[in-house]
Amino acid sequence: MAQTNFSKIDEYGFQRSKNFNYEVYGDFMSQYYRVLARRTKRWEELKDSEKHKKNNTLKRFVRKGIPISHRTNAWMIISGAQLLREESMLTYNDFKQQINNQTIIDMIQIDLPRTFPDNIYFSNESLLPSQLFNILAAFAHQNNDVSYCQGLNYIAGLLLLATKDEEATFWLLKVLVEKILPQYYIKTMSGLLTDLDVLDELIKIQDPVVYKHIKDIGMPWAVATTKWFVCIYAEVLPTETVLRIWDCLFYEGSKILFRVAITLIKLHREQILEARDLGELVVSFKGMAESPNVINCHKFITDIFKIPGSFSKKTLDKLRSKHQQQ
Amino acid sequence: MANNVHNFKVVLVGEGCVGKSSLILQYIENTFNSSHITTVQASFLTKKLNIDGQRVSLAIWDTAGQEQFHALGPLYYRNSNGAVLVYDITNESSFPKVKVWVKELRKMLGNDVCLVIVGNKTDLEKERHVNLQEAEQYSEAVGAIHFQTSAKLNEGVEDVFLALTNKMLEQAAKQRSRSETLERQGSQRRNVIIVDDEETAAPPTSSKQCCSHS
Repeated sequence: MAQTNFSKIDEYGFQRSKNFNYEVYGDFMSQYYRVLARRTKRWEELKDSEKHKKNNTLKRFVRKGIPISHRTNAWMIISGAQLLREESMLTYNDFKQQINNQTIIDMIQIDLPRTFPDNIYFSNESLLPSQLFNILAAFAHQNNDVSYCQGLNYIAGLLLLATKDEEATFWLLKVLVEKILPQYYIKTMSGLLTDLDVLDELIKIQDPVVYKHIKDIGMPWAVATTKWFVCIYAEVLPTETVLRIWDCLFYEGSKILFRVAITLIKLHREQILEARDLGELVVSFKGMAESPNVINCHKFITDIFKIPGSFSKKTLDKLRSKHQQQ
Repeated sequence: MANNVHNFKVVLVGEGCVGKSSLILQYIENTFNSSHITTVQASFLTKKLNIDGQRVSLAIWDTAGQEQFHALGPLYYRNSNGAVLVYDITNESSFPKVKVWVKELRKMLGNDVCLVIVGNKTDLEKERHVNLQEAEQYSEAVGAIHFQTSAKLNEGVEDVFLALTNKMLEQAAKQRSRSETLERQGSQRRNVIIVDDEETAAPPTSSKQCCSHS
């Protein structure tokens, strides 16, 4: 049995779920180890000039997955976080010095024990909760429009688990919220409302049958997909899959979120169409996280560039301005 | 009529960390998880009840408490029959939030929506910061039932949903008799109007269809 080969805790410290499918995971990992080894070797061979600037080779490399050992550096470069840090008048330490607003501090402190409580690195004795606090509070104090918004705790938390680097996490969070993602986290959540409408239109075009079924049942997209956007799939899909999505997101921008959304829906259209009411529909969306299609992150990433077809930034910009919230 | 199921939609609202998700978890699954996670995306659970032979199906929506997420609020509370407004007895600021919600729900859903106001975390009675009498008086003034619960110890949780369900059943009966009256008046009016019409308009069908596959 594959079961005996894998610990109940994954490599990022998460407790595997009760119905974790060890067999599917075992099958996948037996191939993925080889992929990881090869990718690591290829990254070692990558010239510095290719590693430090966006270029087509790097883009291809990113889509194939950034090895853990290279992730922090690669993310800093391809996301623009590095540049943001270099151009900033203030250092991360300066930002931390500004933490003084008790309302913000309280808000964040409420969420600390509610962020990945089942992760061994977020248990009480660990350093990570205090680092997470610093990151979220420093961020909140320098961005008045957002301040602290729930969801950011999961993003920063997972960034921290992936990079194990408090300062890098701060800059990555900042570049994500302020440059890469639309205005999901401001008071009106206008960016989220727009993107939910954009998703609506995309699914109508991509899969009219599924679209009609969802409309017939009467499920608003927000019900099943708020977290897809607000948490950029953290706390939604398996960790390794999320990190592979983030590799692409940092390089190619927020259109990746729609590639993933469309792919998820199309890969699971049978389950969606079988749902007879809202309850079953919500369950079918939740179940996507445990499907073999998604656990196999390597294939899933190939799928997101194949299944939705061509999807340019220009198309997305057009759709977004069409659905802009008043 | 005996086979009809009353389908009610219930929404849980209240400030972050007052125990909305825990109340639902206790009510539906009879468990309490002290390491609960932040709710970002509203979740949806159903519960079937039988009250004096009347079958009821509750669709309960658990929402995110943080202010930002109120932008999504209308999506969840639209067409709700009932709402559970939760505050934390140890958190003073969570009670004024309930008042804000009462106003919003009354404005958006009118007077037909049944409200229950719940002071949660009675297991922390020693740290109480919300005055019970005040909360009860306020609830009465806005036509809401007031309850105290401990989701942790499973105290009072069942009562909340039972009382709310009873209230929604009453409300549904009231609405039914109201629409029957309207229908009678409507058909009389129609009789007057359609004197020389050959075809009569189809009578209005009842607005609620009560069937579901359980």
